[in-house]
Amino acid sequence: MIEIKGLGKNYGSLAALADLDLKIEQGDIFGFIGPNGAGKTTTMRILATLLEPTFGTAAIDGLDVTKHGKKVRRMVGYMPDFMGVYDDLKVFEYLEFFAAAFGIERNRRKAIVEGVLELTDLQSKRAFAVDSLSRGMQQRLGLARVLIHDPKVLILDEPASGLDPRARIEVRELLRELKRMGKTIMISSHILSELEEICDHVGIIEHGHLVFSGTMEQIHQRMGIQNEMQVQVGESQRDKAIELLSALPQITDVKVEGSCIRAVLLDGESYDGLIARTLVSGGVDLIMLKPEEVKLDDAFLKLTRGIVH
Amino acid sequence: MTAGIFRFFGRYLNPARWTGPIFDKELRISSRRKRNYWLRFAYLAAMTCFVVLVWNATVTLTGTSVYQVSRMSQAGVAIVASLVSFQFVIIQMIAVIMLSNAISGEINSRTLGILMTTPINSFQIVMGKLLSKLLQLILLLAISLPLLAVVRVFGGVPWDYVLSSVCITLTAVIFAGTLSMYFSISARPPYAIILKTIFVLGILYIFIPAMAGAILGRYYATRVGLSPAYYTCVFLTNPFIVMWASTTSMVSPAAFRQLPFSISIWPLHCGIMLAASSVVLARAVRVVRRVALAQAVGQVEGGFRQKPAAERKTSVAIKSQTIESEDRIRHVKGSPIVWKELRKPLIQGGRRNGIIGLSIAIGALLITYIVNMRNDLLTWNISHRMYALIFVVMGLVSNIVLSATAITSEKEARCWPILLTTAIDDWKIVAGKAIGMFYRCLPIWLFLAGHVILFVLIGWFHWIAIVQLAVMVVCMVAFITGSGIYFSTYFRRTTSAVVANTALALFLWAVVPSVLGMLQTNRNSDMLSAYITGNPFIQAVVITDATAGRQNAATSLRFLRYEWPEMRRRRQRIGDTTTILFSWLIIYVAGGAGLAWMAKRRLRKKVFYY
Repeated sequence: MIEIKGLGKNYGSLAALADLDLKIEQGDIFGFIGPNGAGKTTTMRILATLLEPTFGTAAIDGLDVTKHGKKVRRMVGYMPDFMGVYDDLKVFEYLEFFAAAFGIERNRRKAIVEGVLELTDLQSKRAFAVDSLSRGMQQRLGLARVLIHDPKVLILDEPASGLDPRARIEVRELLRELKRMGKTIMISSHILSELEEICDHVGIIEHGHLVFSGTMEQIHQRMGIQNEMQVQVGESQRDKAIELLSALPQITDVKVEGSCIRAVLLDGESYDGLIARTLVSGGVDLIMLKPEEVKLDDAFLKLTRGIVH
Repeated sequence: MTAGIFRFFGRYLNPARWTGPIFDKELRISSRRKRNYWLRFAYLAAMTCFVVLVWNATVTLTGTSVYQVSRMSQAGVAIVASLVSFQFVIIQMIAVIMLSNAISGEINSRTLGILMTTPINSFQIVMGKLLSKLLQLILLLAISLPLLAVVRVFGGVPWDYVLSSVCITLTAVIFAGTLSMYFSISARPPYAIILKTIFVLGILYIFIPAMAGAILGRYYATRVGLSPAYYTCVFLTNPFIVMWASTTSMVSPAAFRQLPFSISIWPLHCGIMLAASSVVLARAVRVVRRVALAQAVGQVEGGFRQKPAAERKTSVAIKSQTIESEDRIRHVKGSPIVWKELRKPLIQGGRRNGIIGLSIAIGALLITYIVNMRNDLLTWNISHRMYALIFVVMGLVSNIVLSATAITSEKEARCWPILLTTAIDDWKIVAGKAIGMFYRCLPIWLFLAGHVILFVLIGWFHWIAIVQLAVMVVCMVAFITGSGIYFSTYFRRTTSAVVANTALALFLWAVVPSVLGMLQTNRNSDMLSAYITGNPFIQAVVITDATAGRQNAATSLRFLRYEWPEMRRRRQRIGDTTTILFSWLIIYVAGGAGLAWMAKRRLRKKVFYY
């Protein structure tokens, strides 16, 4: 659905994007991560037809964003990292204005606006002035706005920034609902744990380059997830457990960390069954056995070096 | 004892105590702004060009040496008088513009509240802002002093005139700047503050003296019959009158022998202006403190669109009562851009304020009609000329400002990228903005139309004036709207776009005619005569002079005579005038359309440069 090839954007002598390649399949939720100034927002702005790339191409549904800007705009719903609001407009009027701006016929507008108000749970605010809404409500209104013309692709730049935990959960649920509706969503956020929960694919960008792109499983593999297992046994049986685990050919190393034993595995397999069987048959009372998880935060820290422009 | 006195003065007269670190910060920032250096360069360049032009127009290198010296003396007087008058107006305008975001800038960037969490007090904030900007303005005045000193060598210019003019200019600048800074506390966009300040200065310097004079006696008719106290009051409170009187008395001392007061009382005028500035300043200090404290506790947020907390709470409460009232929601009809633009109120501040403002304007206009009728002045074309000029100036100023805000206001509200990601055609955005701008200026043009139609019906205005003034207005609106929208796409800040649009209008309709006039004073130049027929002010004057008044209104169309200045045949017939007006209509509309096209091309450039 989204295909970026060798994309570059220079601001004078500063290269915000350098030879970026990216592919997002239809119906995916793609998390775009990177340090501040890495080029996430620039990429999104190019996809939203607001910036022209210095070199390279970006296409949405096969249409080049520079050559077919008007057609692309009809397919894309873009939510910037800030929320500009028109004063003196009410919520319903605001959404109806954008419905009209996307050329939706007058007789269909009311039903469509009501639909997105319901989807974003803003019905009770329909007659409120836009500038009187709280930050969270304005973010939700921003989401309602990008849905008004039923776009195939949603480009959301930090949609959850400034929201309280409840609002963030609501936004997350809404994004899942949109995924069920078949939308392709590209989302950037600094709250990595959130992306981890909702994204099918993740792209990590730094210094204008994509340093990683793949599924959550691939990122786990790349970072060594399931290469280690955490084992907890009774205090008196720890030495015995270490002995049993060290004897296994699939385990390359055994370390003690606090009350836990960390078993470093030979390859990507978890071997949880094997470890459990070995310990129980060896007469060790197993308290806990779980794979060592590598969080997206860790992956982000490992893959990026904190280089900012 | 002596040490105590020094300590006292050191403590209370120390500039740092008055301004705190704000003054330093402002100077530091202004020294880094390239535009300030450009401003000084442009100012000095304009003044130098001005001197050269006046010199060229006045001094001849023929005749005896005595004649040449006398001409140089005349040139000196003319140059100094022109420069001082030019400076007097320009520096006041720059002061208003410079101080229009003095406090609102801090509110917008959410730093005013932070300042209140430091030992800096509101007096230091206000004084620091004011004095730092004044210092820059004084610098502008100072860089022109060598020029004045050189010119003074020619003779004919007394030192006391140079001194009085500098003092009068400075006090007028302080008052205008203080007023602009006071209005900037309301955190409105700078263009709104500029307009508000100009409007209030217009009321103080033009409307009140004119109305007082008109009500007190035959002010327009004979300029006699009013008490000397009236003239003295106007002289003491109106810097424009003081400057005009001072300059005229320098150029031709005999002209003021009959005055009921002495021009040498100008220091008193300066004192009054300073006192008035102090009052505004004191009020500003109080209000700044209130706003800063409100921002410090989070009741006033950044951004020009935020209302004070109390007002916001009320408006939210009112809005919440309307949740279920579907009829309050206005549905989009036609072009969304046009709908949104037309949805804005004609007068800011809500319906009630709009009605009050409109009633005051209509009331004031009716009072002038009654007063002028009582003095039998409305049967004269000169009265209608004044009305037409006032409406044209007001319309032009609104047009310049509002058209230049069309897109910059979207940029400042950060709505521009959102609008550009919709499917609206770029042309439709430009056209919608132009229509919206015309709608916002409409009340002023309706006043002009209402005035003309009323007196056509009464029989004191010829009906052809409706058509001709309409053509003139269309010319002006088309061109200025095009240029305003272009500058609005070019600049990111409203103030810059407004300044650029104002500069263009001044250049076309004030600077170029003046330069052409000075370059070709001794012969009727076809170029000059053709050029100034396109000046909307000249057009308004010529049309009203030819068509207004009881006598002209009763004249047949073919006997109407239009006196276009600088033309070989001064009195033109209706056919020639119509040709002139429609020719300019084509030129201006084409120019406006060209600028709109350029604006359309720039629409998607530098979208995020804020």
